[in-house]
Amino acid sequence: MSAPHYPAGTVRALLPTAHVSDATRAALQQRLDAPADYAPQLLAPETFALLEAVAACLFPQPDRPEHPIPLAPSVDQRLAEGRADGWRYDVLPPDREAYRLGLGGIQETAQALFLNDFPTLDTQQRHHVMQAVAGGTPPGTTWQTLDAARFFEEMLAELTETYYAHPLAQEEIGYVGMADLPAWTKIGLNEKDDREIPMSE
Amino acid sequence: MPDEEVLEEGVLSPVQPAIQDPLLRELMADAPTTAPALAIPQEQAQPTTAPLEEVDCVVIGLGAGGAPLLARLAQAGLKVVALEAGPWHNPAKDFATDERAQDFLFWNDERLSAGGDPLAMGKNNSGTGVGGSTLHYTAYTPRPLPDDLHIKRDFDKGEDWPLTYDDLAPYYEEVEQFLGVSGPSPYPWGPSRPKGYALAPLPLNSAAQLMVRGAEKIGIRTSPAPNAALSARYYQEGVGWREACTNRGFCQAGCSNGAKASMDVTFIPLAVKYGADIRPNSFVTEIERNAQGLITAVVYTQNGQQHRQPCRNLFLCGGSVETPRLLLMNELALSSGQVGRNLMAHPGVQVWGTFADEVRPNKGIPGGLISQDTHRPKDADFAGGYLLQSIGVMPVTFSGQVARGRKLWGQPLRDYMRNFNHIAGINILGDCLPHTSNYLELSDELDARQLPKPRLHFTAQENEHRMNAHAEKVMRNIWEAAGATDIWAFNRYAHVIGTARMGLSGDDAVVDRDGRAFEVPNLYISDNSTFPSALSVNPALTIMALSLRTADKFLEREQHRDA
Ligand SMILES: Cc1cc2nc3c(=O)[nH]c(=O)nc-3n(C[C@H](O)[C@H](O)[C@H](O)COP(=O)(O)OP(=O)(O)OC[C@H]3O[C@@H](n4cnc5c(N)ncnc54)[C@H](O)[C@@H]3O)c2cc1C
Ligand code: SF4
Repeated sequence: MSAPHYPAGTVRALLPTAHVSDATRAALQQRLDAPADYAPQLLAPETFALLEAVAACLFPQPDRPEHPIPLAPSVDQRLAEGRADGWRYDVLPPDREAYRLGLGGIQETAQALFLNDFPTLDTQQRHHVMQAVAGGTPPGTTWQTLDAARFFEEMLAELTETYYAHPLAQEEIGYVGMADLPAWTKIGLNEKDDREIPMSE
Repeated sequence: MPDEEVLEEGVLSPVQPAIQDPLLRELMADAPTTAPALAIPQEQAQPTTAPLEEVDCVVIGLGAGGAPLLARLAQAGLKVVALEAGPWHNPAKDFATDERAQDFLFWNDERLSAGGDPLAMGKNNSGTGVGGSTLHYTAYTPRPLPDDLHIKRDFDKGEDWPLTYDDLAPYYEEVEQFLGVSGPSPYPWGPSRPKGYALAPLPLNSAAQLMVRGAEKIGIRTSPAPNAALSARYYQEGVGWREACTNRGFCQAGCSNGAKASMDVTFIPLAVKYGADIRPNSFVTEIERNAQGLITAVVYTQNGQQHRQPCRNLFLCGGSVETPRLLLMNELALSSGQVGRNLMAHPGVQVWGTFADEVRPNKGIPGGLISQDTHRPKDADFAGGYLLQSIGVMPVTFSGQVARGRKLWGQPLRDYMRNFNHIAGINILGDCLPHTSNYLELSDELDARQLPKPRLHFTAQENEHRMNAHAEKVMRNIWEAAGATDIWAFNRYAHVIGTARMGLSGDDAVVDRDGRAFEVPNLYISDNSTFPSALSVNPALTIMALSLRTADKFLEREQHRDA
């Protein structure tokens, strides 16, 4: 399905305007300007590569073959800084351990199902592995101590929120809420303020 | 829908907050204003003055429960110190229109969620900073209906309040007028009121318009909601003129122009004007007592340094997780056995639908439309009831819910999210019954401060399941009638309530109707934790009303003692 979306460049064009506050501009520009190469701070390089492969499977971005919106660095950074989001499922271990265990478990499940490492699997096989983990009862001894469905939900939510916090993902869904100055005046059904340019198919 | 001109006409002349308690009015007439008007507060380290001298009152926590009583105590001329774990923000500078950039508003220290329906905390639950959770609340401010307060009498389930609606009504009115609540007058549900809302309702956004469309078709009455955001400029003592809402839709992050009545732009400046000493970034860890069991001082950490603040009275307002946690850690007021027990959470099912119309759900206040027609549904197979509200949403929050609730990922998730501008939601807030399997305890796991993390056990019971099922059906009907497709429900529970409840006796309650601990005469609790039952409305207005009442009752008692 191809829902309407904003043409590429919409958000970049809005950012320098007076519709965006300094604080908002700073936050979004930083995400847009994040360097493409990121050296993991907490996860071992091969674990980080595994996380990247998982993120690519959960968030396929065929429309951005050269510069996908980076997702794994935000996870690694958060884990390195020891930041939390206020809660954790009691059935899961602390986040660092959960990610280490869970990523290892994904590897294990890939081996069990396809006799290969996750990053070397083709798209369909990777999908199959993730499906098994999401379903809650994947093969692999890791999952006897780690709740697969909860781990999957937590990881997916984190990657998803990271994705949609990115200005380009927001452009993709037709969101220009960052351009809220001085006010929105047309807030009813089928109403648009002038700066909300028409979307294209 | 009010346009610019109508809004201008709605501008009110400066108002003084009406004081309900006659005694306090007298006291205030004697007490001179002790501090100059407030300059815009900045986050800053306070100078450390040790040893600190004893003060009349220490207030822990500056959210909906702490800020109103802080202002009241300061107005009465008492020497009050407020200790708030979080920082003091400058909304215009610090509150970007971006969800990630405002993560710092939430209580992000880890809590453990256990049970059959583990409660999502963090941004789904509580905040920190001068203003507490009101910095990011949606600002829906409906009053409970009178029978909300005696669910046990009516259904033989749950617990009754040791207070009636009439005890609270004058305080509701005072808070509504002081905050500048925008809403419909007369309000369509509940007893008639002496006074209408302070301001006309805010304009309905598209989600609200759609809900009107659907609800009308199936015979459910709706009304613009009472919301603590300004539909016109409003004069605020201690602040000056607060500006009207700009329809920015970011109430669930921080409001950058002061239109939303968070505590930092309402009760706190008032408190500062009357001399309250506010210490941000001050995390309380210990509460000290003398041989008689009276509280003598609190110990807190500010900018890495420990301080001890002696006090004659303590007002604990840390919210329904941190308040019982502090009580448990300090083995305080535990003899009723109820601290941490009776944990309740509002059933808060959301139903989302996709519309052919353009919705743009991020515009306008997210809390726009309300219905209390489902307060006591005729065909209910459960105790209590719920209300219906239209909801706006920001993209990151929504995407996280889609991932968790719809279990979509990969291309289907991206495809669904592309409908963002065509999606609208409704949700409920319903009563919840206490149950022995729902409680808060200290876990063995320590946080960065070397304090035990709280663990919350929550499993929805039969009554919650039945209410959810009823509500989901009603909301699906509304959305179908409004022309929605791809309708789905997100099962969730909002607000943690009841972990240090009030009651008639210390046998089964922690505090009395005045918020005073049965066991510790100079300890008061004022926040979500004292609710004996959950009420079928959003809690903040009631927390604030109780906060003012608690202060008045305390002042009355002090006056008698002095006399
Ligand atoms: C997204 C969202 C939307 C909401 N929308 C609404 C709504 O529309 N209407 C409504 O009525 N309610 C709403 N709520 C709920 C409402 O915000 C809370 O119920 C209410 O603010 C709770 O008030 P409180 O005083 O109990 O706690 P809080 O407001 O959370 O205040 C507690 C304060 O105590 C401080 N504190 C805690 N422990 C310590 C310590 N040890 N030392 C020092 N300080 C400490 C905290 O930092 C915090 O500032 C919403 C909540 C969320 C999460
Ligand atoms: S919608 Fe209004 S009240 Fe809410 S954040 Fe925006 S300006 Fe503030």
